[in-house]
Amino acid sequence: MTYTICVFTENSIGLLNKITIIFTRRRINIDSLTVSETEREGISRFTIAIEHEKREEVEKLVRQIRKIVEVLAVFGYINDDIVYNEIALFKIGTPLGSEPLDIDTINKTYKAWVVYWQLDYVAIQKTGTEEEIKEFFEYIKPYGIIEFVRSGRIAVSKTPKGLVEYLPNDMEWEMMTF
Amino acid sequence: MRKLLPYEGRPKRGFENKLRNLQKNKMGNYTELEIAKEAIEEREITGTPAPDFISGSKALMECLIAEGVDTIYGYPGGAIMPVYDALYDYMDRINHVLVRHEQGASHAAEGYARTSGKVGVCMATSGPGATNLVTGIADAIIDCTPMVAITGQVASNLLGTDAFQETDVIGVTAPVCKWNYQVVDANEIPEIMAKAFFIARAGKPGPVLIDITKDAQVSLMTKKFEYKKVHRLAGYHPRRTPKQEQIIAAAELINSAKRPYILVGHGVLISEAMEQFRAFVEKTDIPVASTLLGISALPNDHPNYMGWLGMHGMYAPNVMTDKCDVIIAIGMRFDDRVTGDATKFVQQAKIVHLEIDPAEIDKIKKAHAPVVGDAKESLELLMPLVNKKDLSAWKQQFRNLEPEEHATVSARDLKPEGGIKMAEVIKMASDKTEGNSCIVADVGQHQMTAARYYEYKKPHSYVTSGGLGTMGFALPAALGAKMGDPSRDVIAVIGDGCFQMTLQELGTIVQNKIPVKIIILNNSFLGMVRQWQQLFFERRYSFVDLQNPNFVMIAKGFGMDGHTCEERENLSDSLDKMLAHDGPYLLEVIVEKEENVFPMVPSGGSVSQIRLS
Repeated sequence: MTYTICVFTENSIGLLNKITIIFTRRRINIDSLTVSETEREGISRFTIAIEHEKREEVEKLVRQIRKIVEVLAVFGYINDDIVYNEIALFKIGTPLGSEPLDIDTINKTYKAWVVYWQLDYVAIQKTGTEEEIKEFFEYIKPYGIIEFVRSGRIAVSKTPKGLVEYLPNDMEWEMMTF
Repeated sequence: MRKLLPYEGRPKRGFENKLRNLQKNKMGNYTELEIAKEAIEEREITGTPAPDFISGSKALMECLIAEGVDTIYGYPGGAIMPVYDALYDYMDRINHVLVRHEQGASHAAEGYARTSGKVGVCMATSGPGATNLVTGIADAIIDCTPMVAITGQVASNLLGTDAFQETDVIGVTAPVCKWNYQVVDANEIPEIMAKAFFIARAGKPGPVLIDITKDAQVSLMTKKFEYKKVHRLAGYHPRRTPKQEQIIAAAELINSAKRPYILVGHGVLISEAMEQFRAFVEKTDIPVASTLLGISALPNDHPNYMGWLGMHGMYAPNVMTDKCDVIIAIGMRFDDRVTGDATKFVQQAKIVHLEIDPAEIDKIKKAHAPVVGDAKESLELLMPLVNKKDLSAWKQQFRNLEPEEHATVSARDLKPEGGIKMAEVIKMASDKTEGNSCIVADVGQHQMTAARYYEYKKPHSYVTSGGLGTMGFALPAALGAKMGDPSRDVIAVIGDGCFQMTLQELGTIVQNKIPVKIIILNNSFLGMVRQWQQLFFERRYSFVDLQNPNFVMIAKGFGMDGHTCEERENLSDSLDKMLAHDGPYLLEVIVEKEENVFPMVPSGGSVSQIRLS
């Protein structure tokens, strides 16, 4: 089962290491990891996707991450709880005489877009779930992939409330940080 | 030559910038002296007095004073020299103890924290100084000992260049620290130190490491020093007062129990909840067993105290884990040395778990009634809700098992024939001190014997390395323990193997005139490993016999008095001589070579498989 762990933290040096050693110590492989600023200044959000067989072990993992001092909140989700996506870039060769790309299918069927082109290649951007990106990968493969890169997963929960609302509010935040 | 201090003169306008430029231009090769010279020159030009801005090192000293630190254990070196220079002016307020190896500093800080209840502070230079602290830091995190470790670091412009004595200490200590932080700017020091002390002592205590680059130590703060103690952090505000609904659920489960059983751990001692705990036990009349680190939370002679649990623990406390219907675990974490095979441990019982760290709940054993909070507050809240009971019959079931244990284990351990037995030494020391001493035990057979045969009367009386099992812990920890509570008599019980890991701290003890008593139980073996090899590896004694030095001669070489006891008839006089000696003393007792400690739960086995022989 895929679990997505969202970690809200203060923005500080070395925190990535403190978080990842909790996984490595338990020999859990991180499938993808994305870090970004949140809507609240000074707070970062880690989105970590892992595969694990036991839900209770993931719950323990979440509590261990919560113990890190700079970590403000941790949420663990299964796929049904979240809206999630990744982004992929494909560099496809278009040498003279090659089979032309079917841009209509790429756009309409696969919701992928050409974001850059030169005479001999195009760069196509595709967002979607891992499966959707894989599907597009299979479709585009015969055209000749020069380079392919996929980002880590990002996710928001399906609850109406924003996750930062679970964090200390701005006033408390002011009082508690320095 | 006149001592030059950069903060003696008020910098004139623009001096700050000049100072910054100086640091920028000469990064890496400027010295405190150069800055000081600049400051003096500037002062001579402007003629303005009144010190306003202090150096990072001086700020660090002020932080320690503000936190009430009166003792630190440390060892100087290149990257921490500015701090030691500042310390020179604070010698009247801060007692710095020069250890002989940085590992000694971290264990001494642990010993100090364990008897004083205060945060232990240790200090070392960058690179090897800092890495030598690591064992003590790892020991402190697993035994929940509050500690602040301060390390020097190469100047910030040299970070990552493989500079002389540069180690990524933040990286090295991240897995074993409750928190760590690298200071690169003198202005950060007050805030970071306040945070460090808060984190070290709040919630479940633990070690915090602050790594300070040399330039941050040397440079002047550009704002006025101001120290504000931290009481809460956005990311860390452990719950002390438990939720009332958890208390109610716990009380209901405790009241419903027919055969309740308390397992008490280090948490009760850490939160100084001994009085509350005792009152709770006396009202509910529930039998109590302690973990190794929970020893002395309740006096040994208390009618409800049944002994301690675990791999080499007492017979009844282990066996009865199979018979109870409710376990009340207080400030303990179901360590594998306590539970044996955790899946088989207290399978039949419901569990009430009082614990300050939410991550411990359900970690090993599922708690039916978890109570997250401080042990003292939790017990106070539980007290009015639990029923007064008389559980004499249930307690008697524990007592019924004792004769068997005495006949097979204690009688053999204490039988005065053959060589002197470890148990005899501990038992006699216990009788002579009437159970009032603080025992600091190292790791191995003597540790188990000291836990088993000393009759602990006062709290904080059994200081040992429980979770990490650090050989070499006892000698430095004993000197720290004595300084942490000078009113206590401290006896270090050390094996011949352990002693040789940190024996250089004899020098620290002598130089600082710390009156600790040291008993070396010498069987010329790594006894516990040998016992295991005997029982589980077909007596294949692989690298466990030691050719030992003359320990008494070593002690005397350090300037410490001592003698060896080889004969049983001299044992009593030997102990008397040691106890009566004014100042530190080393007593070496030659004990039976191939003695085994029992009872014993085979590793990975269930506690019901406990062996008496």
